[in-house]
Amino acid sequence: MAAPSAAGLGRRLRAWLPRIMPVRWSRYNPSYLEPEVKKESYQKPLEELTEEERQQMELKAVRPIKAAPPTLSSSVFSDPMISKFTNMMMKSGNKVLARSLMSQTLEAIKRKQLEKYHKAPENEKETIECNPYVIFHQALKNCQPIIGLSNITKGGKTYQVPIPLTDNRKRFLAMKWLITECRENKHRRTMMPEKLSQELLLAFNNEGPVIKKKHVLHKMAEANRAYAHFRWW
Amino acid sequence: MAAPAYPGGVTRWVSGQWRNKKRPPALRPPRPLALADKVASRREQPTEATCITEMSVMMACWKQNDFNDAPCAEEIRMFYDCVAKAEKEHKNQNEDTLSSRGNLPSSKVNKLLKRFPQITRYV
Repeated sequence: MAAPSAAGLGRRLRAWLPRIMPVRWSRYNPSYLEPEVKKESYQKPLEELTEEERQQMELKAVRPIKAAPPTLSSSVFSDPMISKFTNMMMKSGNKVLARSLMSQTLEAIKRKQLEKYHKAPENEKETIECNPYVIFHQALKNCQPIIGLSNITKGGKTYQVPIPLTDNRKRFLAMKWLITECRENKHRRTMMPEKLSQELLLAFNNEGPVIKKKHVLHKMAEANRAYAHFRWW
Repeated sequence: MAAPAYPGGVTRWVSGQWRNKKRPPALRPPRPLALADKVASRREQPTEATCITEMSVMMACWKQNDFNDAPCAEEIRMFYDCVAKAEKEHKNQNEDTLSSRGNLPSSKVNKLLKRFPQITRYV
């Protein structure tokens, strides 16, 4: 009689303490801080830190820190855009395959550009971009739409209203278009890296089907510009 | 001799209109004659869309240049700036201050009135 109630009381009154083994969930207690992965922030001498950085350091001494997710890396070769693209290419959690496809794509881009470089005459050699990362970033930037359309219902009818898009949404749309384009419109026997490298090089030069899709979206937004007043934000 | 000036009600009574259909207004106030602690709910007018001019300028530029982005870089930059400003303002605006049109929605007015109710009796 007394024993079970005492145990229950003890369980309820115990203060919250962090676990010994941190768990890689997304639902942490709000007191947990984000991990800092960049090496440069730890190499700064103490005098160069601003006030808020000093306060942040003192806070880190007393608060627990979340476990870093496996995709977050402090290496110089890691690129958040490339990781995001790899994740979007991944099917059924097969990250190994997605990552190998991505590296093969970058290699294919480099090979194609080097071939072009060595064949080009002397004066044109500087204009050819050989860095696959630069090509990837520029191609994605060229594919990002500037305004999008959203369905707004007014008076029983739904209209396509042009709205400004957030940065995340633009990046997502650009990556999604690239990946769907490469998955659907290719010959059965072409490999994904080859098709992707082709599309990325076309997008880098502002040509190709993905850029066309972006232009189609812009044209529709321009046609519907009369409905822009239906927005309320 | 001028007509004798009787008080208003007397003349009306003498004319006999009260004995016919017309009765004096029987206002026995069913509710206390005091302001209520709430306002009637009003449909909030939607705020206007932001950045429409920048958008139309950008679209005009697109139409001229066949939807290429390179010649329209300046207009696109202005559009992005306007969008960022509008977003920041939307985030910063305090809920309890007046809206851009100078109105408070009826729900907030009711909350304020509830905090300071009308005193109907003195104890």
